[in-house]
Amino acid sequence: MKLLIIEDEIQLAQSIISYLSGENYVCEYAGTYQQALAKIEMFEYECILLDLMLPGGDGIRLLEEIKKRDKEEGIIIISAKDSYEDKILGLQTGADDYLAKPFHLPELSARIFSIIRRRKFNNSNIIRQNELTINLLSKTVLINNAPVILTKKEFDLLLYFIGNKNKVISKNALAEHLSGDIAGMLDDHNFIYAHIKNLKKKLGEAGCGHYLKTIYGTGYRWEV
Amino acid sequence: MNKLLNKSMRAFVLYAGIVLACSIPAYYAIIDFIWAHELKEHNRIVSATTRQNLQALSLTDKELSETVALWNKLQPETQLQPVAALRPDSTYNIYRKNKYIPAKGWDRFQGLVTYFTINGKVFRLTQEVNMEESHETIIAIAGVAFLFFLILLGGLIFINKRTSEKLWRPFYSSLQKIQAFDLHRQYAIEFEKTGIEEFETLNHHLEKLIAGNIAVYKQQKEFTQNASHELQTPLSIVRFKLDLLHQSKPITDEQSALIDEAHQSLSKVTRINKNLLLLAKIENSQFSGKEAINLSALLEKHISLLDDFLEDKQLQVIKHIAPDVVLSGNKTLTEILLTNLIMNAVRHSQPKDTVTITLKTHLLEISNTGAMPLEEKMLFRRFGTSSPNTTGTGLGLAIVRQICQLHGWQESYRFENGFHLFSIAWA
Repeated sequence: MKLLIIEDEIQLAQSIISYLSGENYVCEYAGTYQQALAKIEMFEYECILLDLMLPGGDGIRLLEEIKKRDKEEGIIIISAKDSYEDKILGLQTGADDYLAKPFHLPELSARIFSIIRRRKFNNSNIIRQNELTINLLSKTVLINNAPVILTKKEFDLLLYFIGNKNKVISKNALAEHLSGDIAGMLDDHNFIYAHIKNLKKKLGEAGCGHYLKTIYGTGYRWEV
Repeated sequence: MNKLLNKSMRAFVLYAGIVLACSIPAYYAIIDFIWAHELKEHNRIVSATTRQNLQALSLTDKELSETVALWNKLQPETQLQPVAALRPDSTYNIYRKNKYIPAKGWDRFQGLVTYFTINGKVFRLTQEVNMEESHETIIAIAGVAFLFFLILLGGLIFINKRTSEKLWRPFYSSLQKIQAFDLHRQYAIEFEKTGIEEFETLNHHLEKLIAGNIAVYKQQKEFTQNASHELQTPLSIVRFKLDLLHQSKPITDEQSALIDEAHQSLSKVTRINKNLLLLAKIENSQFSGKEAINLSALLEKHISLLDDFLEDKQLQVIKHIAPDVVLSGNKTLTEILLTNLIMNAVRHSQPKDTVTITLKTHLLEISNTGAMPLEEKMLFRRFGTSSPNTTGTGLGLAIVRQICQLHGWQESYRFENGFHLFSIAWA
């Protein structure tokens, strides 16, 4: 799957590429408005990551250009601007998601994963992994074709892990994924243990393999 | 405090009073002198007339003594008496009781004693005339002086008010404008043209001073905003690198723990940065949209969002939320305010404590258990209560205050029966 990263800060782009390249993604990079426009005209992408502050032009105008071409790619805005108005403007102009910097790389990866699957028509909003089947639209989970009832947060966590296969996810990233900025306001995030414990228990009882591993001390990994 | 106009007035009135008071003895002395002089003259004329007329009558000695006796009886204020020898004339001024109308009390007389001869005999003529008593004169003069003082005073006040007000009007107008000036609101003051050199100079310098202040203030705010923006990128880079570092293989538990601790501190810096940016934005009036907010519903929604944290600490939440309390304000900011207040209570509670959330028509109150009263002055200040060992940014309550100020709400803190009570009141 091809991704285009439009971001003027090379260090950020490199980190994103480095994190995503392990997961079947082919990443391309554009550092300016003109470079980005040229790439969009020449190639097809599954997903475009767009920074709003670009040398050579406004990111929102670039977004309008992309939408004019009427292609099927998903667009995620990654921006340092995090005001409500900026987000609304971005989403109204046609972006699928809006991620305010600084975010965690697993968060980005999970969102790319969801958007690519939501965008595709041919039943790919069903994710299959061995005995596990996840329906993104109805938000249901089947194990060996038997439904497993998960809470919204457990479902969110499961998708997050699936979107970051074989990666170590820190507790910090999980807390921020579940409760945003508020997560940092408290010292301990015991509620994460609780949610993960419940998720593991429900999956295990339904006969799902032990994919979710605890990396002793600080994080979790979904191993396939 | 004295007003400028009264200050100059007081000196004028004091001066006028002293001058008028001093004029009383001066008037008295002059009037008394003229009066006495005129009466002396009068006495001399009457005496001379009497003498000449008597001498011209050419009476015999017998007729003369009868006439003199009759004279003395009819005219008690003048006495004609034979004496042994001629003496120089003399005058006197005495107070005497009124013999004929006792109710009049003491009368003042100006007298002249002259000596002359008729038919070779020496006579002494005492001529008296009633003169105005000193105290009566003084009272009359003082009365007139006081009356004029009052007229002068009234006139002075009136004229002073009229001219001073006109004169100082530009000054008061400038003063009013400076009073109404608010550095947060960012508009420069325009003073009216006065055409008076001193006021022009004053206004010119005030304008310069204010413009300078606005510029410095703007710079400072822009600095905060720019600094926060500039920090976003390096913060993102550090976070990304840590995320990548976490993926390196093999990774030990120790390394993993180090990364996690770095993440925690980094997320505190990120939040401080975001909060500073938020404060700068509020100060720059970048949150202008106002709408009617159903605070009851918003509050319930927020409490449920924070469920995880409340359960984590096993906090008991007591809610007294009046239904459909509607408040006009910026929704984004109101949400931030609620989050900050509730999380503040959660963070500073011990496990199994009680957090009470009360919402009334004009009041929101959030309380949590506490041991000691906090210092209110420091609470709402930026970094007033921050400490290096907590996850708090030290900005949460400063943001609450800023949001309240923007909306005209009143934030306050008090300690009551072992509870910290934070409340927001609105009209």
